[in-house]
Amino acid sequence: MLRLDRLTRRFGGHVAVDDVSFEVGDGQLVGFVGGNGAGKTTTMRMVMGVLQASAGEVRWNDAPVTAIDRREFGYMPEERGLYPKQPVLEQVAYLAQLHGVSAHDARERGTALLDRFGLADRAKDKLEALSLGNQQRVQIVAAVIARPKMLVLDEPFSGLDPGAVDDMVALLREFTSTGTPVLFSSHQLDLVERLCDRIVILSRGRVVADGVADELRRSGPLRHRLVTGNDAGWVRDLGWLDVIDVGGDTAVVQLAAAEDTDRLLTEALRRGSVRELAEIVPSVADIYREVTA
Amino acid sequence: MKSTNSVWRLVAVREVSVKLRDRNFLVSTALMLVLVVAAIGIQFAFAGHTDTKKIAVPNATASKLVTAADRMADTADAKLELQPRQADSAKSVTEMVSDGTADAGLVRSGDGWRLIGKSSRNTDVATYLGQAVQQDAVRRNAAASGTTLAQLQKGSQLPYELLAPNDDDEGAARVGGVVFGMLFYLAALLFGMAIANSVVEEKQNRIVEIIASAIPLRQLLIGKIIGNTVLALGQVVLLSLVGVGGLLVTDNTDLLGQLAPGIGWFVPFFLIGFLALAALWAVVGALATRSEDVQSTSAPMTALVAIVFFGGILTTGVFQAVLSFVPIFSTIAMPARVLAGDAAWWEPLVALLIALAGAYAILRFAERMYRTALMQTSHKLSFRQALRQGAE
Repeated sequence: MLRLDRLTRRFGGHVAVDDVSFEVGDGQLVGFVGGNGAGKTTTMRMVMGVLQASAGEVRWNDAPVTAIDRREFGYMPEERGLYPKQPVLEQVAYLAQLHGVSAHDARERGTALLDRFGLADRAKDKLEALSLGNQQRVQIVAAVIARPKMLVLDEPFSGLDPGAVDDMVALLREFTSTGTPVLFSSHQLDLVERLCDRIVILSRGRVVADGVADELRRSGPLRHRLVTGNDAGWVRDLGWLDVIDVGGDTAVVQLAAAEDTDRLLTEALRRGSVRELAEIVPSVADIYREVTA
Repeated sequence: MKSTNSVWRLVAVREVSVKLRDRNFLVSTALMLVLVVAAIGIQFAFAGHTDTKKIAVPNATASKLVTAADRMADTADAKLELQPRQADSAKSVTEMVSDGTADAGLVRSGDGWRLIGKSSRNTDVATYLGQAVQQDAVRRNAAASGTTLAQLQKGSQLPYELLAPNDDDEGAARVGGVVFGMLFYLAALLFGMAIANSVVEEKQNRIVEIIASAIPLRQLLIGKIIGNTVLALGQVVLLSLVGVGGLLVTDNTDLLGQLAPGIGWFVPFFLIGFLALAALWAVVGALATRSEDVQSTSAPMTALVAIVFFGGILTTGVFQAVLSFVPIFSTIAMPARVLAGDAAWWEPLVALLIALAGAYAILRFAERMYRTALMQTSHKLSFRQALRQGAE
């Protein structure tokens, strides 16, 4: 289990990451969301030890993380890069060896992973000879070849073609199913919502939301849409709810409590027919817009 | 999980194996080999030319002896021409030799003659003039009613005196020093640039972030330095072998015997000097953010390497003696002094120890700057900025 404990990073007078705490439990897939400059990459670089924290600490299995622990972490940096002029298999095997994998195992695993991503016949080609999408696949192979005990992926889906996205998702699922914690950042909110067990939203260096996707969606104010048989303007006369919007036969209202739904329905039926009365569940994108606004 | 203390070996092996498959590297190595072979070939061709020596003489008798010696050299098919140069007195003969107007001087010495040279003896001049003097003396003594062999040979001995004696052939020592200096200069520049480029490549591609999370940066730095040092030393050894082979083939074994102690000292000095410079070259690469920046971040290093080279081969006397104890500078200056026979036996040893201590200090210092600069990807840094941030 990875734990970030009040992690802070200052660059001169600017606080890039401000008192960030959250957890990535074993087997959990945690999506890390936030706009450009929100501090996601800085946070991930601190987790990987590439950047020193100004304050706070990263804990791994309830102890401060060490260089030896990190050697078993898999990392995919935001700005992609491997050796452009080195053959594909050779460099992923080299990276595995740096993580302590034997030369023989490194080549074997590299071959198997490249095969899995449909790159078996490109193993001896130089990286720069591959298409961008295939280079991304090699980057994924590089991140997982040492069978990491923790995966930290910065924007792993950016630049991937739909096929590669599916490959990536399947791979991440494999890791979480064996208990590996996975932290990844993304701009693609729909993907984060679909995949993640937990979502952490970062804004201006601070955690503004952290929770299971469903929890987050329902954490906002309770809103309902009412569609009646005729003009719905009468809702403005009810004093016990907030009217967000009224247009023709449709009204969007915010209720103080779930029990008020019955009261609203009764009022509506008293005035005519009711076509629809439904709770509005915001998407993660809506939540994101709200908490980062 | 294995410890990370020997991961540098993986890094070094990669550096070497990538380089050995790099076409530019192979071509440049081949080119240097061709240059060495060509240089030896040219020297060999020049050795075929007739050498003209001017001999200062105080009188007509001496002049005749020189002419006679010239004829003998000609008869013997030696590539030597001897020309008499008339001087006013024995004293002015000495002056002409010491100011270089003449290569040697022939003056009266008791019943015989004396040959005067400046700083080194020329074997050919001594051989043919000696023969001429001997022949002349024997002829004259016989004419004066030669009684015994001892009397016949009286006055035919030719002592060869040096005004400023020097144990070794100065020219060969000088050339040897320049060749060593050149080898180090080329290796320091070519491999230095290669190290800087290999560092900036990793930084530019951000692969350094993946590596930094897997192994300590010190291991990465050590691996790079050692890998490239092995390559540089290998290349120098290869060039030296070809050079030595060339000297053997062209029958220059004398020269080889003279250069041997210099070569022996050059290798350890090269190794230590190169290690220190390699660490600084790694900093040059780390200061840049893109490979294009290396051109400007490397400026202080190219200047330093050039100063080391010219300082090593152009200085003489006290300056050279001082430089031969300064780390990095000693790489060229000390073997040059050993070659010239100017250094006492303990001097290279002491200089080597100082160089070793200096290299260690430079490595520590470079490591700090490398670490600071490597993760600073937003803009190019200067040496001073990296130093200041490293101290924070």
